[in-house]
Amino acid sequence: MSQEHAGSLTAAELLDLYGIASADLDRIRKLGERIVPKLEQYIGRFYDWLEKQPEYHELFSDPEVLHRVRSAQIVYWTEFFRSPVDEAYVAKRRRVGELHARVGLSLPTYFAAMNLCLDMYSEGIEGDAETATALSRMLHMDTAIVVETFSRLISQTIAEQSRSLVAMSTPVTAIWREILLLPIVGVIDSQRAQDITGSMLQRIADTSARVIILDIGGVAVVDTAVANHLIKITKATRLMGCECTISGISPAISQTIVELGIDVGSVQTTATLKDALERAFRRVGVQISGD
Amino acid sequence: MTQTELRVTIRGEMDVTRAVLDAGRFARDFGFAEAASMMISTAVSELARNILRHGGGRGELRLARVEDGHRSGVRVEARDSGPGIADVDRALEDHFSSAGTLGLGLPGVKRMMDDFEIESEPGEGTRVCACKWRVA
Repeated sequence: MSQEHAGSLTAAELLDLYGIASADLDRIRKLGERIVPKLEQYIGRFYDWLEKQPEYHELFSDPEVLHRVRSAQIVYWTEFFRSPVDEAYVAKRRRVGELHARVGLSLPTYFAAMNLCLDMYSEGIEGDAETATALSRMLHMDTAIVVETFSRLISQTIAEQSRSLVAMSTPVTAIWREILLLPIVGVIDSQRAQDITGSMLQRIADTSARVIILDIGGVAVVDTAVANHLIKITKATRLMGCECTISGISPAISQTIVELGIDVGSVQTTATLKDALERAFRRVGVQISGD
Repeated sequence: MTQTELRVTIRGEMDVTRAVLDAGRFARDFGFAEAASMMISTAVSELARNILRHGGGRGELRLARVEDGHRSGVRVEARDSGPGIADVDRALEDHFSSAGTLGLGLPGVKRMMDDFEIESEPGEGTRVCACKWRVA
């Protein structure tokens, strides 16, 4: 994971990024003296607004949840106006982001909610530009921490999905006694080549297979890196006493390999899976009657 | 929907995958036969991987339709601002590798494509431009 995202910034770095000086924090606390005692009223107005949002009934069908979220909100804003902005403060905001992402609150609604809070807390400080600026900076910083957590969770989900796709993309199957088959579809990058090699060798060890067929008919390209991986894979299987045949060499793939100038050497290849299968049956001593 | 240009920013293996798949579609949509389309996407794959491995890990790949009067084709252009290639002539020799690989990438691209140009200065990055013409 990249360390550049805002999520890894420290409290001090965040304050610096949003231009919040200690004078600004003092102004926020001063404002808080007036707002915190009236938070119940503010939150009440907030829920009057929230009730009209389409997501409300979905999120708060359970009155107990509503009660819990409401009390959490009082705590949230009390901290906003009173607590020092330190690592604990930032960590709490990240948890708020995680919670919002988990319950499926949409970002437009979240932004609109923060905007409403800005409007409410700005009432009565119209003449005090410095406090207004401090308030909007703090609110933006809080919003950014939460949104960053949202997006980090989304990229985490994507990473997990692609990991499971990789796991599903190396289905080494025993198709006959001592014969394994692995069809590969798509693009082979170095991570995938390693996964393929690993799962092939493990299956060879588990099943004492004597032939493995690697069908690359569905592979998008065989460039020099892929060819290098394929050559290494066949060498590794051979060391384990298992012969590897690469099938599915289309006319386009074969011409490309020749143009690239790759010496496939002793790698056994066939145009079709059928040819590879016949060769495999001969090797393990299976006779095919008929044709 | 026919595209006349394609740009992919290369920063990781996922971008290489995208560039390869998009390039194959781009070439086939333009009427290239299967083998020629495969060579264009293979060239894209080699150049994109070079950006990751030797070009500072960041660069751009562009595909465009080109015309020169009586024929039309696809131009593949790869740029990076990496360390550059110290000896371009050697990099174009078969089996010359600075990374323990087959050393056929650049010379392979040159053979697969019809026109091939490379500009590189140490410290100034690398630009490779290669065209493949469509057989009428």
